Amino acid sequence: MEGNMDIRVRGLVKEYKRGAGKALDGIDLDVHPGEFLGLLGPNGAGKTSLISIITGVRKADAGTVHVQGFDVAEEPDQVHASIGLVPQNIALYEMLTARENLAFFGKLHGLKASEITDRGEQLLEGVGLNERANELVGTWSGGMQRRLNLVTALLHEPAILFLDEPTVGIDVQSRTAIWTLLESINQSGITIVYTSHHLEEAERLCSRVVIVDHGKVIGEVEDPGAKGGADRLEAYFLGLTGKEFRDR
Amino acid sequence: MLTRILAHINKELLMLVRDRGGLALLFLMPVCLVCIMALVQDAPFRDFSEQQVHVLFRDLDGGSVGGSIKDGLEKAGPFVLTDVSADGTMNDSVFQNLVRSGDYQVGIVVPMGASEVMRIGSQSVVTKFFDPANEGDTHAAPHQDSAFVKVLVDPVVKKAFRELVTSQLGRILASLSADRLLADMTTQLEVLTGKELEPFKVQEPFIGVRQEMAGSELSGTRVAADSTQHNVPAWTIFAMFFSVVLLAGNMVKERDSGCMVRLLTMPGGAAERIAGRMIAFLMVCVSQAALLFTIGVFLMPFLGLAALDLNGINWAMLLLVTLAVGGAGTAFGVLVGSFSMTQQRSAVFGSISVVILAAIGGIWVPLYLMPDAMRMFGKLSPLNWSMEAYNVVLLRDGSIADLWPFLVPLLVFTTICIGVAIFAERMTSRR
Repeated sequence: MEGNMDIRVRGLVKEYKRGAGKALDGIDLDVHPGEFLGLLGPNGAGKTSLISIITGVRKADAGTVHVQGFDVAEEPDQVHASIGLVPQNIALYEMLTARENLAFFGKLHGLKASEITDRGEQLLEGVGLNERANELVGTWSGGMQRRLNLVTALLHEPAILFLDEPTVGIDVQSRTAIWTLLESINQSGITIVYTSHHLEEAERLCSRVVIVDHGKVIGEVEDPGAKGGADRLEAYFLGLTGKEFRDR
Repeated sequence: MLTRILAHINKELLMLVRDRGGLALLFLMPVCLVCIMALVQDAPFRDFSEQQVHVLFRDLDGGSVGGSIKDGLEKAGPFVLTDVSADGTMNDSVFQNLVRSGDYQVGIVVPMGASEVMRIGSQSVVTKFFDPANEGDTHAAPHQDSAFVKVLVDPVVKKAFRELVTSQLGRILASLSADRLLADMTTQLEVLTGKELEPFKVQEPFIGVRQEMAGSELSGTRVAADSTQHNVPAWTIFAMFFSVVLLAGNMVKERDSGCMVRLLTMPGGAAERIAGRMIAFLMVCVSQAALLFTIGVFLMPFLGLAALDLNGINWAMLLLVTLAVGGAGTAFGVLVGSFSMTQQRSAVFGSISVVILAAIGGIWVPLYLMPDAMRMFGKLSPLNWSMEAYNVVLLRDGSIADLWPFLVPLLVFTTICIGVAIFAERMTSRR
């Protein structure tokens, strides 16, 4: 175990194309067990790249990542067993029903059929999807898909949950359901690492916020809710990242 | 690992069953192709002996030669003769127009005086034989019009038909000449010996020709590749390889959605994902083969075609070939899926590549009908190895040893495709 951290990132570098600039430029990051960490930053800051490397989706050019003491590059299976990921895109098969999606991903995690059923039903009920769980996911609204997207990542009871902009483009009701579920699972001890552009969301949910820009950590806010709300967090964020557009 | 592969198989099959367009592509399209192509190619596949050559016949000789030619052609089988010798309105121009217009494929004119030319020619040979000093009758000089039977051919008639008629006529005329010569020699011998001799004739050639299959005929009635025997396995192979469109498309779709990202954070790697997908599609390939072979046996006769003859075949070898072909087709699918960046690209590249491999591989037209250069290219196509493997089982009654020359390249092709696909997936997924 690396100093009792759930996640320890050191000197992480990622460059997708030679000469196009570094997506990650020597990032260091520690995440404590049970923490609800918000990764904030403008478009192209490196948030998704950071999460992708920590979860083993992509490989770093340099640096190390340890998750629950396991090196992501060397021990991916141990890392994968302890994490759940909610990607930016909907990570569900549209031609399967909600229950079939859960069964498929649950079996990949090595869960028994009874475990999938029990936990799946509980989670589906928690986000109000259990009555429509036999419908094809492709026929659902974006909000319903987002909620199932989250539920699927929680099925195997991960110790750490990563969320990449989980509330993009959904209605208030779905967003509220997701917030409630996230608060609930964080209170149960699950560490959450989360990216978003919604500062008020980060202010409400996160116990700590790290601001990333140009592939580097440029600021950090402990307990952002106590800072005086989203307005002050926004001012702090803009003060660090500037007001110019980040069109890519 | 097995549980994860089974989960992938189950997922793929569930998605396939619900994809109506995909099901139509996998099952309905090949059924239509088999029926249409078998019907279209039925005539070209028939043996000449089954086809009728319509011959317009005009005997200007009126003697033994004209009569013998007419009898000989009628007995030969494929010729349907229309004799216009007694038609007073017939002349060279009308005769020629009837052939040129396509009413008759061939016109045969026996020239006036042909029997007399035959008689004089034979007498000349006999006289020279018994009295070498005698020059004989020189009236039968070669190359005069009456020494040639004229054959008129419709310009659109295939070369093979023309040669069939010409060779048949040549055989009849050679036989007539021999008979005449023997008869004249007999007469001459009677004069010389003063004895009456039995007329003798060569009824049958001393050395005959017997045609055999280069492999045993399984049911006794099976003939080398008729339209059904060719098209059913051919389009089964095509269908199995054409599943590349759906398979590769599903892979790209999975990558485009967040599913691949989620999968990359879960236990199990590219090999398991590919294995699950391939096994699911292999099951589809076996189902395709079962459906199309059933149609070959039971539906083809209702379309006026020969039924697919499966009597006496080795079913285990048929299953082995089907698995090998299906494996190659699905492996090609995962290869295309691994390299395609968009669904559109995978669909276009997948379908066009299979059509090209099918065309050069002898799926549309058997390889033996192609020019030498194309035949050489064709032998490089996995669809050709597949076709040859099916032919070993369905037509040649071959043993497992006969299959290896085709199964080994298929297995090597499959292995390479899978290896490259796994490598590509690992490289592109975790860049």
